[in-house]
Amino acid sequence: MRDDPTVVSLVTRAAASDQGAWDEIVDRYAPLVWSICTGFRLSTHDVEDVAQNVWLLLVGQLGTLREPAALPGWLATTTRRECLRVVTAARRSERLGTELDEAAQFVADTVVDEEILAAERNAALRAAFAELPPRCQELLSMLLSDPPRSYGTISTTLDIPIGSIGPQRARCLERMRKSSALLGLTEVGVNFPGGDPGA
Amino acid sequence: MRNGWDDEQLLGALREAIRARRAVPSWFVEMGKNAYAWHNIDAELAQLTYDSQAETKEPAFMRSEAASIRALTFTSARLSLELEVGENSLIGQVIPPQAGTLETHTKAGLTTSRVDESGYFAVEPIPASPFRLRFQTAGGVDVVTGWITL
Repeated sequence: MRDDPTVVSLVTRAAASDQGAWDEIVDRYAPLVWSICTGFRLSTHDVEDVAQNVWLLLVGQLGTLREPAALPGWLATTTRRECLRVVTAARRSERLGTELDEAAQFVADTVVDEEILAAERNAALRAAFAELPPRCQELLSMLLSDPPRSYGTISTTLDIPIGSIGPQRARCLERMRKSSALLGLTEVGVNFPGGDPGA
Repeated sequence: MRNGWDDEQLLGALREAIRARRAVPSWFVEMGKNAYAWHNIDAELAQLTYDSQAETKEPAFMRSEAASIRALTFTSARLSLELEVGENSLIGQVIPPQAGTLETHTKAGLTTSRVDESGYFAVEPIPASPFRLRFQTAGGVDVVTGWITL
């Protein structure tokens, strides 16, 4: 999302000493940093090491990021580089050759683009969800709970007739679809994972 | 289909987005938020580039006495900090050698040590983990390590 105004605004505000904006950046993109670390199968200690450095590097570069809107890409690349540093240090101690390092680099490069897209999609979905009225959030949360709640339970808990759960669900989802967060997402062609969403 | 997502796909994508957020431990998020304390501190980050403990995988009985001292190196664009973890103190040297001050930051606060002309310094006692070291000179050098856990 090169022109995502939310990200640009968050970066600009965080650079101007707004801790709240920084917290929101971390809330939005911690899942991206986390999932990349998980993909490298690092120990908890190494994950801490990587994440500390990634966030510190970002704090240090807030004012000088050339393209604030490209923040997710920057975070993914930096996290990947930090993970590789840790993995390479471990490999060296196991006396394995550089071919393995090159293989790791290749895997990291190909995986990371999908990670960025998924992270942007997820951040937009969470933002759209957060903008919904409380009633919609409650209903969708119950529909998404694991294990799923029955319509009977939902009807009792939210005090709505069973017959109107379906129509309300449709209205809430339509609201989400029309939110600025999701409209921005589709404009730049970030689509449903691996799918043909129009089908 | 305005957004390319039908109801089931949108609900599925939302489920995945929420799952991805919940998978992240709270300490991980907190650590990210706390990093902001370093905003506007104009120090260059020195990365861990060597850790003797990560290198020695052979059984303890094969190690020499000297090798059991843990050595760490942090490197930034303009200098390195070499550290040795002794029994009661942390000793180290700034490479290339230069005088300055060394701040030791822990969660409890910070202490300051002197770095002599040869770049040598000592921190006593060994600071509580995690901690980080910040080296500054009168000439404007300002370098800080990542958080160190011993």
